[in-house]
This record gives sequence, C-alpha cells and structure tokens, in this order.
Amino acid sequence: MDFDLGQDAAALRVRLRRLIDQELPDGFLGAFTDDPADLAVTQAFCRLLAEQGLLTVAWPSEFGGGGGSLWDQTVVREEMWAHHEPRGAQYMGLNWVGPAIMAHGTPEQQARHLPPIAAGEVIWCQGFSEPEAGSDLASLRTRAVPVGDTSGADGWRITGQKIWTSYAGMAQWCIIAARVGPGERHEGITMFLVPADAPGIEVRPIRSMLGPHHLNEVFLDDVFAGPEAVLGELGGGWAVIRTALAHERVGIARYARCERLLSELGRELEPHWGDLPASLHAAWVRALVQVRVARLLAYRTVRAQESGGVPDVAASAARIAVTQCDQSVAEVLCSALEERCLDAGSTAPVHGAVEDHWRYAQASTVSSGTIEIQRSIVAKALLRGERL
Amino acid sequence: MTPELPEEAIELAEAAGRAFDALGGVEVARRAEADPDLRAREVLPVLEQLGVGDLDPRGSGLALAAAAALCEAAGRVVLPYPLAAVLVDDGEGRPTAAIPARSARVDHATVVPSWRVGRLPTGTGTGTGTGGVGTPDAGALGSRLGPFVGDLTLDVGGGAPPLRDLLVQQALVAWTVLGSLGRAVELATEHVLGRIQFGRPLAEFQAVQFHLADAAVAVAGLRELAGFTLWRLERGGDDAIVDVLALRSHLLEVARSVLRSTQQLHGAAGVCDEYDVSVIVRSVQPALRLPAGVDATVDLLVGSVEAFGFVGLFPHGADLRDGGPDRSATW
Repeated sequence: MDFDLGQDAAALRVRLRRLIDQELPDGFLGAFTDDPADLAVTQAFCRLLAEQGLLTVAWPSEFGGGGGSLWDQTVVREEMWAHHEPRGAQYMGLNWVGPAIMAHGTPEQQARHLPPIAAGEVIWCQGFSEPEAGSDLASLRTRAVPVGDTSGADGWRITGQKIWTSYAGMAQWCIIAARVGPGERHEGITMFLVPADAPGIEVRPIRSMLGPHHLNEVFLDDVFAGPEAVLGELGGGWAVIRTALAHERVGIARYARCERLLSELGRELEPHWGDLPASLHAAWVRALVQVRVARLLAYRTVRAQESGGVPDVAASAARIAVTQCDQSVAEVLCSALEERCLDAGSTAPVHGAVEDHWRYAQASTVSSGTIEIQRSIVAKALLRGERL
Repeated sequence: MTPELPEEAIELAEAAGRAFDALGGVEVARRAEADPDLRAREVLPVLEQLGVGDLDPRGSGLALAAAAALCEAAGRVVLPYPLAAVLVDDGEGRPTAAIPARSARVDHATVVPSWRVGRLPTGTGTGTGTGGVGTPDAGALGSRLGPFVGDLTLDVGGGAPPLRDLLVQQALVAWTVLGSLGRAVELATEHVLGRIQFGRPLAEFQAVQFHLADAAVAVAGLRELAGFTLWRLERGGDDAIVDVLALRSHLLEVARSVLRSTQQLHGAAGVCDEYDVSVIVRSVQPALRLPAGVDATVDLLVGSVEAFGFVGLFPHGADLRDGGPDRSATW
C-alpha cells in the first residue's frame, strides 16, 4: 500500500504555492466578490498558469495539455480550491467541459475549443438545470428544433430557460442541454456548444449568498446553433452529461480549503487555544479526521478514473462525504470565532475567509446534483449488488 | 498511490473467510456464548491453520496488511477470539492489548493464561503509559454486551508493551470492526431487498435507500482511513499515534451510526439473535468500549494532535510556500 502522491506531485504543489504567493493579492477570496478587480486577477492568473503549462497539466499533449497524471491534476485542483480558486470562472471549462469535448467532440470541435481553454482565454458556463428540471434533469424542456429538414444539417433553433447557471454573465461559451425530437426523459437530450453572445440569449443575475456574478437565469429565445454545435450524438446528450457530472463531482477539492482554513484559523487562535472550551478542541480534531476521510474518498475516485472507468458511483460517494465535511467544518470554524464569525472583509479573521467559506458551504450539498441524488445513485448501486 | 491492500493480503482474507464460513459464520459467535471452550477447541485451530502464529504485523508492510485483511475477515463473522491482540504477540506467547485508563479489562480475557497490556499515553507523552503483564481473574463478565470480557490482575513489574505494539493492535481492532460494519451493511441490503411491506420491497422506499447509502459511504470512508493508517504505521513515525487515534475515533463514530441504521432497517428482527445483525451489534460492543469509548478517544486524540500536529501525508499551511520541508503542525 502506498498513499504517497510522489515527488513530482510534491514538487508541483510547491511550485503552485509559490505562484499563488507571488501572483495573488493578500486576502484574495476568489473571483466572485464585490471587487471587479478580482475577476481580472483570475483571468491573468489563468493565462500565467497556461504559459507555464500548469493550467491543463493533465490534458493529453495533443490537446495542448501537459500530459501529466490524474494525480498532478488532483494536486492542481487541491491547491486552487484551497486558495479560493484563482482560476475563477475558468475551472469549469478546465475540469469537465474540455474533457467532455475530448471524449465526445469532433476533431473540428476539439481544434476550435480546446486550445482556447488550454490557453486560459475562455470562460464556459453550463446550461443544464431548468426551473422545472433541477434534480430531475432528464425532464428538461428546452427544445432544439431543426432548421430546414429534420436532419439538423442546416442548424437548430433553441428555445427554453436555464437556471442556476454559474458565471453565465461572464462566459464566452455555453454548453446547453436541449431536447431534440419526440423522445422523453433521457431520449433526445442533445448537447450544443453555443457562443454566449449569440442573438436570443439573455442573462439575468440571481441574488444569492454566494456573492455577485455567480448564479444566473439564462433565457434562450430562438437561439441559432449550427450543425457543428452538436457535441456527441444527436439524442446522445445523457452520456455527455454523465461524463461531465462525474468529472464535476470529483472536480472541486472542497476538502483542501477545509483543511487549510482549519489550519490557518488554528494558527490565528494559537495564543488562546488553551482558553477555548474542550468541546471545541474535540470538534476541531473530529473535523480534521472528517477532512482526511473526505480526501481519501476523493482519491478513491481519482484512482477509479485512473483505471479508465467513469467512476460515477465512487464520485457520488466521495461527494456525499466531501460536501458534508464542507458544511460541518464551516460550523466548527464559526464556533471557534464566536461572534467574530459575522465579520466580513479584509479586517475579519483570516481575511474574511471563514465568513466566505460558510456562505459557499451552504450550497455544496445542492450544487452539481443534490446530496439526495448522490445518495440515490449510491443506494441503487448497492441494491444492484455493487460494492462501494 | 496504491491504496488497495496487496494481492497476498486479499488472498489470505479470502481463505480466512472460507474457513470462518466453514465454522458456521456468525453462528460460531452464538455457539461460543453457550460453550466458551469452543474458542480454544474450534476457533484457535482454524487460526493456526491460517498461519496466525507466523504472521507478525510488525515485521513488514505486507505482514501488517495481511493481518489487517485477516482481522477484517474475522470481523465479518464476529469471530469469538481476540485475534488482533494475538497477532501482536509479545515474543513470549502473550497477546498484546491496550487497556482502559482505570482498569485492566480486555475482551476474551480467559482464553489465554497471560497478557501483555498497556495504556495509551495521554497528552504529549510519546512513550507508553502504564502497563505490564496481566493474569485473568477467574470467570468472565457474562453480560449480554460482553460475554467474554474479563478483568486482569496487573503485574506492573512485567513492563508495559512498546507503544508501537499497542498502536498496531488498535489498528487491527479497527480493521476487525470494519469487517463487522461492512457485513452489517450487506445484511441490511439483503433484508430490505427481501422484505415486502406496503406491497413492495423496503428497498424501493427512498428513506430506506438514504439510510443504506449513508451507511455504505461511512464504511467506505472508514476503510480508506484504515488503509491509510496502515501505511502511516508502516512508515513508523512517532506521530503514528495521531493516525491510530484518528482511526479509532472515526471508527467509533461510524460504528455508532452504521450499527444503529443497519439494525433499524431490520425492524424488530434487528434485535433478535436469530438475525446475524443483532449478534454483530452485540458482539462488537467490547471493541467499541475498550480501551476507551468515543469521547475519551477524542480526548486522547486532542492531546496527540497538540503534540504532533495532524499533517499526515498532505502538506498544508504557509510553510510549504517557501518550498521548505513540511514542518507545519496544524496549530
């Protein structure tokens, strides 16, 4: 047995931390703050990572990647999320839109879309959820109607409404799930790659505790998509979604930020550590163990990916652990700060990172598929006789 | 990164599983309550045949993994024998076990004539706590939750076991209980698939599915942590006590919720000894209470984390930004 990620991964981690230290302003809390300069910081940081071959470190070299291992990619994910995701809104394109295009795209689509993602030049958003299709994604109603004959050879007109679309207001491209033909449920769902500024697309921000620019509604009114916009088979969108969600669910290394914040706040409280109630000491070490377990379950998913499968059940199991860890760590951090946990901004403890983390953690058991959906996926696998 | 048990360990566990099934599986735990001598008469020879006497988990990483896999197999049938303690022989034929802070109580006390026992150190201590050679008092508790639990008379002049021995024993106890928890989830899964209520299998109810999923994920996470702890033990650092206590504290929390939910999913059958889950729930209680329950274990963990930090494999903190060695404790 060996749990060491290896010297290359350790060196990569050190290199990333150096860059983060040098390039990010003190107290950086990500792209979605009230300060518009933070988005510009993430865009510049993505270009820098790309120049150094670190943005798509584990992509195959023919797609502009570094040809590194999934463990290298894991280290990148961990360091990025631990430091408030300095790739900003681009992580979605990097983590799963790119891989989905590699897996399902035509050579032309790959040539068109992958180089800009690898260069850190493009923000993607995903149009999956709809007002009537949240957890039940297969009930989505957005329709794509062929232009001209029924083949779609002349393109498509897409009409519908998407919701909870992260980064839609800043994205250049959107991957949209729409229904084609008479099929129901999973049949007929097709994925389209559409420029976010295409005529007929309207984005309306949704106010949320996650901060500005994050969640949006996207209205699609007769939006034209050419035949080259279809990703994967016509009607084969569910397979793309499955690939995408498996990547997305393992994609966010929430445990890494949990561990870093427990560590940083611990250092900040150190002079008064002995004054804290014993129950808080106990909650603190329990949180550390919970984070370790979440990390190990996430690694298990990476291990399954390494052997070539689509580890959707393992990813769901990991996500159940990781998202619950995210929320319980948020509570431990706030308990430790007592009334100061309500402070925000650079003068707050840990430059406001605890307050920021608590707000974000509230959505973690909902985003990328609710924890209830993850439980259903795991339970159904168990009932089929699979072992976790 | 190779988190799986080595093939040799898996093969040993499979052979052990077949041997334990041949003994009757969980039935052997039921029979031992009525006939405690069965442990020496039937269980011990099977363990000897599996090579337990030649397996020293302190000898190599492979031996440690093999011992862990063997314990997991034993846990699946709640084998009535102190296997984890026996595997950590003191060199003079005595099993090694950690004992509570204020007593010298162990499970299956009378199955051997003499023990090497010790207390886990508290606070920042790096050596062993008190301990020595223990001789079983006559008879066992005979209670429903601890039919084989007994007290030892301690001769402190005999010397406490090395801390590492206690840590290995505790890790192997965790692997044993892990086996019991995994089996409990399987039994609950089988039960809800077969039990029809309201005209359909219980498994079709979402509330049931959620309980099952949470239990399975908890056991899967515990298994990863148990494997990680073996690896940390194999590396032999002073701070392995942190990892073993972390494993035990997590084990106790997972056991409480998994046993509760898997028993609940059996309905009234869950408390009937005719059903394996009931026997499993009762039989693991000594391992969950000795040498320390969840709160006392967490208390020990707090002390060891204060002494050593909680870095493990995964570096964090500002120190690494300089590319220097990972010196960062958690606080």
